[in-house]
Amino acid sequence: MKWQCALLQRWLPEYPEGDLPAFWKGRLKAHLDRCPACRAEQAALREVVEAIASAPKGDPGPEFWTDFSREMHLKLVRAAQAGQMAPARSVWWGRIPYLVGAPALAALLLWVAVGYLNPERPGLTPPPQVAKSAAPAVTAPPAAIAKQESATPARKLAAAPQAPAELGESQNFVNVARNSGDEAFPEEDLDDLDSTLAGMTTQEREAFLKKLSQHEKDGSCLTRYSAISSA
Amino acid sequence: MTDAQLVAQAQNGDLPAFEELVKKYQREIYGLACRMVSDPEEAKDLAQQAFMQAFIHIRSFRQDAQFRTWLFRIAINQCYNFLKNRKKFGDPVNCDEVVLVGEGDSPEEELVTQDERRRVYAALEKLPPKQQAVLTLKVEQGLSYQEISEVLGGTPGAARVNYCQALKTLKKNMKSEEEDEVAMRTSPAVATRVPRG
Repeated sequence: MKWQCALLQRWLPEYPEGDLPAFWKGRLKAHLDRCPACRAEQAALREVVEAIASAPKGDPGPEFWTDFSREMHLKLVRAAQAGQMAPARSVWWGRIPYLVGAPALAALLLWVAVGYLNPERPGLTPPPQVAKSAAPAVTAPPAAIAKQESATPARKLAAAPQAPAELGESQNFVNVARNSGDEAFPEEDLDDLDSTLAGMTTQEREAFLKKLSQHEKDGSCLTRYSAISSA
Repeated sequence: MTDAQLVAQAQNGDLPAFEELVKKYQREIYGLACRMVSDPEEAKDLAQQAFMQAFIHIRSFRQDAQFRTWLFRIAINQCYNFLKNRKKFGDPVNCDEVVLVGEGDSPEEELVTQDERRRVYAALEKLPPKQQAVLTLKVEQGLSYQEISEVLGGTPGAARVNYCQALKTLKKNMKSEEEDEVAMRTSPAVATRVPRG
């Protein structure tokens, strides 16, 4: 059998008066004119359909239908009296999974999108450097903290978010930093202030801290501090 | 009164309205079951079960589909279940049980017609249940492929392919039935040893 015959024979039962698109009807007509095998197949299929149609089911007769109706009536009455009719199912009942799932999915997607678009959003990804530098301040005893405060005022800034009660002067220090200075202060300097200060000489450190305290109008210091404290 | 009106009344618990629907479709449902299971008594039970199921669940029927196709779907599911159980527990069917209506003018003609019909029934019985259902719905009930797909599930295209396949298989089955009959006629000794069906 050619591939064309196999393709067209799927439509044969519908040819010529069946539910057939015009395109296939035209193709079938052209094909049947020149293909004897498909013509034979069509004749055979038509014979089969006629055989089914000419072999009707036995009609059981009027008595059968009288009995049938009587039995059905009794069964239906019994079912109705027993209250077997199932209650109507609400249209909304089948839609509950969608009604619950769609908003939940939307909320999840929104949360993920916001998290990706704004990675500095508090709660999603705390800055690792801050966490690292803040850890000793939490575990250290108050006496040690006081010593650290007197020794390195800048350390207070890093320790401030984790130990707000011990802030004292450091809070004032940050306020001073917020209220003074004209130049923008590099943000990365604040991320690890200890390491920045450790690499400086005493003079450099003093100059650096002085410069820091002079940044009155610069908001970056405060912004970073706010991010650190909220984390 | 239309089906939709009768269904609406039946959904409100109006029993006579549902009985009206039963009367309207009992022949079609019985005929379908008869074709599917080839046993008039079982077909009667299955048709009644189908109507009972329809009555019990009539309130969940939405008027999106036709009541007729919904009823066919219920009846076909009943038949599928029956056939599954029969296959499982092995209840043989004698296709001679099917009551045949004589239409021939003479006894000889009637005999030939009955032989022909018996051959068709035997060939139909060998088909898979889904193909039997497609053939019955298409040839006897005159459903469109769209309606058949609503009854049996799937798409209208799949129903068309299934119908075509069913016709081809039936053609093969009828041919083999004919060959069996010829073989039995030519060798009566074999015919006595090997029961038909």
